[in-house]
Amino acid sequence: MLKVENLQVYYGAIHALQGVSFHLEQGEIVALIGANGAGKSTVLNTVSGILRPREGSVAFEGQAIHETPPQDIVRKGIIHVPEGRKIFSRMTVTENLEMGAYTNNDRAAINRDMEAVFARFSRLRERRDQLGGTLSGGEQQMLAIGRGLMAHPKLLLLDEPSMGLSPILVEQIFDIIQDINEQGTSILLVEQNAQMALAIADRAYVLETGNIVMQGTGDDLLKDPKVIAAYLGGH
Amino acid sequence: MRSSAVDNGLRTGVTFGIVIVTMFLIGFTVTGAGLIGKLFGASDSATPSLMFYSLFMILIGMWAGASASPRPLTEADTFKRALISGLVAGLVSGAIAAVIGFIFGDLSANKIDPRTYLPSVSPDSIKLFLFNQTPLMGSLTLLALMTVSAAVSAALSFFFRSNHWLKNKSGETSNAARGFFQSAGLNRVLQSQYASYVFWAITAVVLIILPRVWGSYWNYVFGTVGIYIILGLGLNIITGWAGQLVIGYVAFFAIGAYTFALLTAPEPHHLTVNFWVALALGVLVAGISGLLIGLPILNLRGDYLAIVTLGFAEIIRILLKSDLMTDYTAGPRGIRDIGGPTILGKPFVSDVDFMYVIIVAVLAVTFIAHRLRNSRTGKAWFAINLDETVARATGINAFGSKLLALSLSAAVAGLAGALFASRNQFTGPDDHALMVSINVICLVIVGGIGNIPGVFLGAFALKGLPEILRETESYRLLIFGVLLVIMMRLRPEGFLPARRPELEKHAAQTPSGKEA
Repeated sequence: MLKVENLQVYYGAIHALQGVSFHLEQGEIVALIGANGAGKSTVLNTVSGILRPREGSVAFEGQAIHETPPQDIVRKGIIHVPEGRKIFSRMTVTENLEMGAYTNNDRAAINRDMEAVFARFSRLRERRDQLGGTLSGGEQQMLAIGRGLMAHPKLLLLDEPSMGLSPILVEQIFDIIQDINEQGTSILLVEQNAQMALAIADRAYVLETGNIVMQGTGDDLLKDPKVIAAYLGGH
Repeated sequence: MRSSAVDNGLRTGVTFGIVIVTMFLIGFTVTGAGLIGKLFGASDSATPSLMFYSLFMILIGMWAGASASPRPLTEADTFKRALISGLVAGLVSGAIAAVIGFIFGDLSANKIDPRTYLPSVSPDSIKLFLFNQTPLMGSLTLLALMTVSAAVSAALSFFFRSNHWLKNKSGETSNAARGFFQSAGLNRVLQSQYASYVFWAITAVVLIILPRVWGSYWNYVFGTVGIYIILGLGLNIITGWAGQLVIGYVAFFAIGAYTFALLTAPEPHHLTVNFWVALALGVLVAGISGLLIGLPILNLRGDYLAIVTLGFAEIIRILLKSDLMTDYTAGPRGIRDIGGPTILGKPFVSDVDFMYVIIVAVLAVTFIAHRLRNSRTGKAWFAINLDETVARATGINAFGSKLLALSLSAAVAGLAGALFASRNQFTGPDDHALMVSINVICLVIVGGIGNIPGVFLGAFALKGLPEILRETESYRLLIFGVLLVIMMRLRPEGFLPARRPELEKHAAQTPSGKEA
């Protein structure tokens, strides 16, 4: 479904991605794990078109998209939920969700989708008229994911959904991610919380300083001594 | 909650006390009273009458009360609380003024003339400050006047603010005011749509009659205000909504003015294009120039647009002034005998007629701005303003949206420029100095960035008020500066902030679960 080959991305002189290749099949959860600065978010930003690769290609459903502008990539069904609970802080919850459906003009469909999001995240329904910036951290993350769902993603790019959340909330968010996946949305998940990410991922890639150094199924990597040592606080 | 009402009143009271004393020390109490007198058509005299001075002080007291009155957001903001705030504010500011008044009155009674140190504090102004009474009685009167006017105004503004029809329709607040208006049977009248029809009808009548009766001077002043309203509404699109700072906004104003001028003036091109055609072309050319400026820079982030437009504005002004362009743009002399409007071939050029043209233009631009604000495009601008990355991630074409915003802003500036040139029948490079841009930025910020009524208020405050204060020539900028400082202190988001700040507090306390 998504095929990334030899991706080379620079920030000025900094060579952030040094030839990253991976793929994701329909219905999978694929995790990218790695330390701070390994290039995980850069991969997502490149796939969603916010960054341009200097070399390499990104193909979605057989079509090259690495030169497509981000708004057209959204229309193809790749939705990016950026890191750090990026919501529109001075818009209400409802308005945030409406922005998620920006590419959709059908008012009735938008209302139906919003009902679906509210059904999934009942906290958001309670707070529908509240400004995004006044929500708690977990609620903001739910709103960011909910906003992503409003666009009917085929592929959801999630950047650090667990960042800054309490362990209970992290569990909830990962349950939600699995649930979204079971309903047919493929997910590319970037995480520092390797334990949780590997537990729900079908397959995973380990990213170090702009290179993929390891790959395998989530279960295999969870048992891999090198991964345990580097990312799971292993013994 | 009680003590916070007192605190609130105390703070406002001290601020206003200082303001009153400052005004007294620079002699503005006399001038201000004189201005009030003039509004009522009183003839000029060296010392204005006691009545107008009292009115002036009452107005200040009411302002203090209105500032001290809490905005009714929660159940705790009761009427009593507003009254206490207002009362304290009036007492404190009155007491500060009274003490100073008493000291000066006493000095004056002992034949000491403070003018040696404070040239504006004449015995006459002290006498007026103390209502022509003895120091003790005068300062007590001052105290009483401030206290009563602040308390009354706090109560009144509490009613007005909590009144349902002034808020947006979904803003549910239950408070004393509702009860008051319901019991008075006013609520239904005020809430009915007829109220808004009546309001618009009255506004329309006023707008039709006023230019005819208030004379060419006020038509000139308010014509300028109108043109600045148009400029403010235009800048608001790119800066207030899309969040991209444009410093050289005057460039587009100049392009509109010169396009119009060159097309309609006999010199230097012997063209006499019809007013409306030239107006449309002025708007179009300015809009296209905005597009061309935006193309290379709008996909960059940061303040490049501010810097580039700043440079662009200076280039335009210097080009217009240069000898190089004299053959094409008449150089530093400027362009004279610019054409005026015609309707069905008849000239429509008196100051009254032109005021109507400006009013219609202001209404048209306001309507368009209002529609844009609530459109999909308007939402996209707001999203870009809040967070460009997320906006792009939700499928907004950030570059295209910003380009459209800049181009529309520039077109509106072009309209203002063309109207400005046509009204003055003259335009020259000095009309398009950077000060125009700065004025427009200021008026948008003072009014409340991103808000349409705020632009109106800002234009009146920044372009109308200095004209009204012209009487006080030497103090004009000082007073203006003091007003700006006070305003930034009391309302840092502008007089009319754009987005329901009350929502942030209100919603936090009443999570509403109602169905859409």
